[in-house]
Amino acid sequence: MKQFVLASLLAGSVAMPAMADYTIIAPANPGGGWDQTARTMQTVLQEEGISKSVQVQNVPGAGGTIGLAQFASQNKGNPDALIVGGYVMVGAILTNNSPVSLKDVTPIARLTGEYEAIVVPAASPIKDIAGLIESLKADPGAVSWAGGSAGGTDHIAVGLIAKAAGVDPTKINYIAYSGGGEALAAILGNQVTAGISSLGEFDAQIKAGTLRLLAVSSPERIAGADAPTLKEAGLDVELQNWRMVAAAPGLSDEQKAKVTADVEKMVKSENWQKQLADKGWSDTYLSGADFDAQLEKDVTSTGTVLKDIGLVK
Amino acid sequence: MSVNEPQKQRRRDTAALVIAAGLAVVAGVMLWDSARLADLGGYSGVGPASVPRVVAYGLLGLSVWTVFAALKGDFPERPEQNVPPVLWIIAGLAAQLLLLHVAGFSIATGILFAFTARAFGKRNLAMTIPLGIVFAFAVWAVFSQLLMLHLPAGPLEHLIFRGA
Amino acid sequence: MGAFDFLMQGLATAAEPMMLLYALIGVTLGTAVGVLPGIGPALTVALLLPVTYRLDPAGSLIMFAGIYYGGMYGGSTTSILLNTPGESASIITALEGNKMARKGRGGPALATAAIGSFVAGLIATLLLAFLAPSIVKVALVFGPREYFALMVLAFVTVSAAFGDSALRGLTSLFLGLALACVGIDQLTGQARMSFGVPELLDGIEVTTMAVAMFAIGEALFIAGQKNQQDDEVTAVKGSVWMSRSDWARSWKPWLRGTFLGFPIGAMPAGGAEIGTFLSYATEKKLSKHPEEFGHGAIEGVAGPEAANNASAAGTLVPLLTLGLPTSATAAIMLAGFQQFGLQPGPLLFATNPTLVWGLIASLLIANAMLLVLNLPLIGLWVKLLTVPKPWLYAGILLFATLGTIGANPSSFELGMLLGFGVLGYVMRLFGYPIAPIVVGLILGPMAEQQLRRALAISQGDWTVLVQSPIAATLLGIAALALIVPLILRARGKGQVLAQLGGDED
Repeated sequence: MKQFVLASLLAGSVAMPAMADYTIIAPANPGGGWDQTARTMQTVLQEEGISKSVQVQNVPGAGGTIGLAQFASQNKGNPDALIVGGYVMVGAILTNNSPVSLKDVTPIARLTGEYEAIVVPAASPIKDIAGLIESLKADPGAVSWAGGSAGGTDHIAVGLIAKAAGVDPTKINYIAYSGGGEALAAILGNQVTAGISSLGEFDAQIKAGTLRLLAVSSPERIAGADAPTLKEAGLDVELQNWRMVAAAPGLSDEQKAKVTADVEKMVKSENWQKQLADKGWSDTYLSGADFDAQLEKDVTSTGTVLKDIGLVK
Repeated sequence: MSVNEPQKQRRRDTAALVIAAGLAVVAGVMLWDSARLADLGGYSGVGPASVPRVVAYGLLGLSVWTVFAALKGDFPERPEQNVPPVLWIIAGLAAQLLLLHVAGFSIATGILFAFTARAFGKRNLAMTIPLGIVFAFAVWAVFSQLLMLHLPAGPLEHLIFRGA
Repeated sequence: MGAFDFLMQGLATAAEPMMLLYALIGVTLGTAVGVLPGIGPALTVALLLPVTYRLDPAGSLIMFAGIYYGGMYGGSTTSILLNTPGESASIITALEGNKMARKGRGGPALATAAIGSFVAGLIATLLLAFLAPSIVKVALVFGPREYFALMVLAFVTVSAAFGDSALRGLTSLFLGLALACVGIDQLTGQARMSFGVPELLDGIEVTTMAVAMFAIGEALFIAGQKNQQDDEVTAVKGSVWMSRSDWARSWKPWLRGTFLGFPIGAMPAGGAEIGTFLSYATEKKLSKHPEEFGHGAIEGVAGPEAANNASAAGTLVPLLTLGLPTSATAAIMLAGFQQFGLQPGPLLFATNPTLVWGLIASLLIANAMLLVLNLPLIGLWVKLLTVPKPWLYAGILLFATLGTIGANPSSFELGMLLGFGVLGYVMRLFGYPIAPIVVGLILGPMAEQQLRRALAISQGDWTVLVQSPIAATLLGIAALALIVPLILRARGKGQVLAQLGGDED
């Protein structure tokens, strides 16, 4: 065993060629969803022998737009460079007036996705989604929502819900927290009326009975989650917080096909499926023209709702 | 501290006045910047512009205070400075910044190493630059190859690790 | 007593020779990367986590614990010896620790940091093991207004690091607050003070600023001095080991630091730095040698280092009991746990006791291993200071920039490093203290966000800030800390505390 460790450390130092086959940019701090996606890709690509060596580099900041801008300008035509991104980036590009958008990179595929969940503390007098909407209609200011960063998926979801319920989206009292953890603490501590985040963030608390799940933002009910969809509750809202991988701009069709094939091989591997299951992510793999169309649709609808909330002029 | 020599009290402290002006400029920039922010205070009544404004007024107050202190000669005696060594280090850092993505970590950092040593009295750059590059390369090899830190590679790093 | 049995069982597993070796490897790797200025425990753990994937769960867990504690501890070594804090929680350590090292007391400074970290880690891990579920209930009571009050208290404590002039201390603090405004406003997504520069949108990185201010500013200042021998660094004077009086002056700060750091670390938005600030101010107030503060007081190393390490264990309280990752490091640990099929959350202690207690046992072993590794190394570390100045400072700048480049290899970040380095030099030249500007940068955004959240929830009613007993008490303590020195000074008794008086003019 001892020899194994030393040998593997040594082997790591000697056998590892200096140049990575792929460099993946995680445009966020270590620990976040994008970082974990990038590092999971690193593990699977290496273990499945799709790529000999993969490096992950964090370029955090501004909803991923800083990493995106750096990626697009430094890697033109480089087929070995990848970047992880997601729905949050779509909103951040708009709110930050980012000069670089997803049009400036080559989106390859959507990898995973999570649906939004609306919860209240177990001690809350609000029993169901109808009750929450009623309070919202009566006095939007009195309903405080804890969620992720301003202009992010959670904020957009609240805006959509308000709009669907006929409440002025600029009147929502949204309290932005920097991470899911901090928002969850505020909900558990009864500091706010309701909370909104990816279902996975709340799952353990819901099962333990400390949070009450009111609704989810999926098109159909989610297995294991005892709550209606927003659509069933009469609110026409459907939202997926997806994560994707994109390649550098200026690739030839051949190069793009090679990257897409590598990614598909990764997604289809048992290893990847196991990693997703461990992390509680669902496989929402989508590539090619279907993904491009979906992306286009999301960009347009997000622009509209951000204007409604008043974050984008 | 409170008992100053009379001649010192008369002498105006120009450098301190420059600092006061600098503080006022920072305050001015903050007020200008916060003026163009949308008022999104929402339900809190404290918007994104409020705190920068409070800080800016604080800086203005400190600027005025600094002027008084400068006129009274309240600032401590400054240690005499030897300028060339300071410039050598700044030049080394600037060189590293400019060369990092072109020449790679080892060469860029080797130059920083040599220039810093120069600032502290090791004048022979013909000796210190190669030494710095070798040392920086060893550090690069350990941290990027063994500990998987992402450090920019240049011709030197490519040569040795691809060739091997 | 089920908990105790589980712990003993975990300890027995973790004490096998193979496991001890894994712990040693983890601690060594963690220290090696964590020692780099600008690379905090979060990045250290993220970089090294894949190394642990190759082992079986027990070995992986223990190596992981070693990396975590090694990364936490690594920062203090460079803080003390080279005045280059590795991350924000060891900034305070640099204040007194480096002064001690310059006087030839680097050995005792490193020893009190190492033993203090060990004591704090031991107590805090045991608290974690036996009290986590009740502590977390208290921590959840903290809402935005309570955090705001805590930040106000932390602000008051900054004045302990003001030095001899209220004007210059306040100026430094306000410059930090001004820099803190740069970047996207968390609550509205508005870009502030970034002038269309995308790199500024994410604000100013605290570690870049700290490394620049301390390491580069210091190097420039020393290089520029005409009278070089004035500031000669003495490598070792007297024993490398702690003297009887060092022990006597260290043990109380260790304990106080632990009990300040642990609960603040356990709070979901507490943060490791706050505990170190509070500990430093407390030690300065309680010390029998307040005049030594700013010139190398051992209490000022012992307390904050213990607080720093205790809060690291505190972070695990919300993580294990609620599944709440409250810091970047904790978020990575969460990812690490998931590979063992361990889903932190309210039911973890009930559903997966073997792994939880295995982790706690691993933390205890890793903590001890850190001491075993570092105490003998102290003699070696202080030898670093006998390296001739040209090579020493050339090496400091090499490692300082290595850390920044490793965390984010952008030219812009290096440009900021250079710019703030020059600012740090100018501030030293004119006698401005360095710590307040860094503290302002850390505390400013925290205080602002919590205040605005509290007011948004209350829909603009300011009185809520004092309506909760905890918030009111914290604000009361802060007010006392400001007013009492004023009264003392008015009576002519407070020469030493004079600097506090000018605080709120």
